[in-house]
Amino acid sequence: MKRVLEAEENAIRAHALRKEYDALVAVDDLDLGISKGMLYGMIGPNGSGKTTTIKMLVGLLRATSGEAYILGEKTPIKKNIARIGYMPQEMAVYTDLTVHESLELFAELYSIDDEVFAKREENLLKVIDLAERRDSLVSQLSGGMKHRVSLACSLIHDPDVMFLDEPTVGVDPELRVGFWKYFAELKASGKTVVLTTHYMDEAVRCDIVGMMRMGSLIGEGTPKDLMASTATSDLESAFMALSKKVSA
Amino acid sequence: MPLLMITIFGYTFGGSVKNVDVYVVNLDQAPQNESISAAIISNLQSRDTLNIVRIYTTADGVARATDKVQDADIWAAIIFNETFTQDVATASGGSGQPAMIGMTVDGTNPNIVSSISNELLTAIRAVLGQRAFLAPIAVAPNLIYGEDARFIDFFAPGVMGLAAMMVTFMLSIISFVHERSASTLDRLLSTPVTEGEIVTGYALAFGLVGLVQSCVIIGAAIILFDVMIAGNVLLALLVIFILGVGNQGLGFVLSSIAKNEFQAIQFLPLILFPSLLLSGVFWPLEAVPSLLRPVSYFIPLTYAVEGMRSVMIRGWSVDGIWLELLILTAFAIAMLVLSTLGLKRRR
Repeated sequence: MKRVLEAEENAIRAHALRKEYDALVAVDDLDLGISKGMLYGMIGPNGSGKTTTIKMLVGLLRATSGEAYILGEKTPIKKNIARIGYMPQEMAVYTDLTVHESLELFAELYSIDDEVFAKREENLLKVIDLAERRDSLVSQLSGGMKHRVSLACSLIHDPDVMFLDEPTVGVDPELRVGFWKYFAELKASGKTVVLTTHYMDEAVRCDIVGMMRMGSLIGEGTPKDLMASTATSDLESAFMALSKKVSA
Repeated sequence: MPLLMITIFGYTFGGSVKNVDVYVVNLDQAPQNESISAAIISNLQSRDTLNIVRIYTTADGVARATDKVQDADIWAAIIFNETFTQDVATASGGSGQPAMIGMTVDGTNPNIVSSISNELLTAIRAVLGQRAFLAPIAVAPNLIYGEDARFIDFFAPGVMGLAAMMVTFMLSIISFVHERSASTLDRLLSTPVTEGEIVTGYALAFGLVGLVQSCVIIGAAIILFDVMIAGNVLLALLVIFILGVGNQGLGFVLSSIAKNEFQAIQFLPLILFPSLLLSGVFWPLEAVPSLLRPVSYFIPLTYAVEGMRSVMIRGWSVDGIWLELLILTAFAIAMLVLSTLGLKRRR
């Protein structure tokens, strides 16, 4: 698969990244090159290797073979760990804490100054539309709201590279628009955002889309290019076409 | 699991005390073939309740044997004086004054004290036969520790340790399984916090919880039951804290095997039953069948219980329980290191 942006400076580079679980190949010799300030969307069905790829890049899983670099540091990164943010696919929030306490906890873990934290918290609570629930226990929130808290916790330290695993799951359409507006702002400020999504209509908003199936990248490019190369008018059809091509 | 539980329970519950280490000081001047003391000693050796580690036959043996009791290396020193056989003969003749067997004993454990006394009485009856009913021999116990100790004084340190152990282990294993299944652990590991910091943080927090638990128990024990505290209660609580930290680490290590909280709970009997039955909480180690006794020495609670009893009943300070503190600290460190390595390996 031809690598996009080979000549660009990459925030994330992966070469022949592979993850095996006994006989199962979860990620199959993946090459990635994601430049700074890019909004990269990884789409694919369940079990296609999206989450496994993200976890290897974040350093939570050891790759069976291959290598990856984040901000020039080989994974699992240590020096630049405070510059990455990670939102797991699962809820991953402490339900005994309030929304404020949750953000405060992660701010402390990243040694964020109180004043800086206060400003960021105010902004993030607006983005996730939970300003009024600041002092509510997370356990009292709906599933979608918990997911939003999870997103905010991964952004509180203003990371340069963000790995967001299904950030818009359980979020209503109106708020989803708000989220994408925020991702676009992050991108515009030079941040790199890598996200996974099931929603093909959302993936269209990404700069580059990587289509994964059975652990492999079956297509990668701008949404427009992907649709043009498969002679389709939407990403879902493009994905189906590429899947058929690979299976043949 | 149920098979393991019933096996341990069946073997240990109600086991009689065996192989209690004692010294004998036999100063009796009577010829060997006429010596009542020699016959009593021989009778004691024919059974396995007492383990006569050494027999002194000179006067300096009294001080040496007493020192051994004081250092808790042996449970008792049984002393026959120079005129013992002669005194028995005189008493049998109806003098009214029995011959005395001296017994310097560590009174930390009432079970042991009564076992030693009963064994001596059994031996006396066996040797004297019908003459035993004339009561020509009496045993004069001299308790070095635990004078006036009741069973609850023996029991309380074990219960404190057990409570701290259970609380920290259960909290730890359930919390960590939950952290793994809810992916909050993944989130933590993606932050600048290191594996060692996560493990240490949990260890300190849950160690403290175990400590608070034990403060409540010891407070209740003192106020409600007037439990004996001969030594520094803070030292006893230090023992508990270190035990708690170690068990928290054990919970952490085992949490990597359990996939969910339901599976995690099933580790509890595996840890609880051996600790309950084999670590000296309810009955002395000498009552644990010899087949299982080696297992006792691999259970951290054994050392915590011994350490706390030494502080609370014997009144010992750090230099008396240094070995127990060392073993518990080594266990805690080993568990914390294993926990950290387990987290690193996870990646």
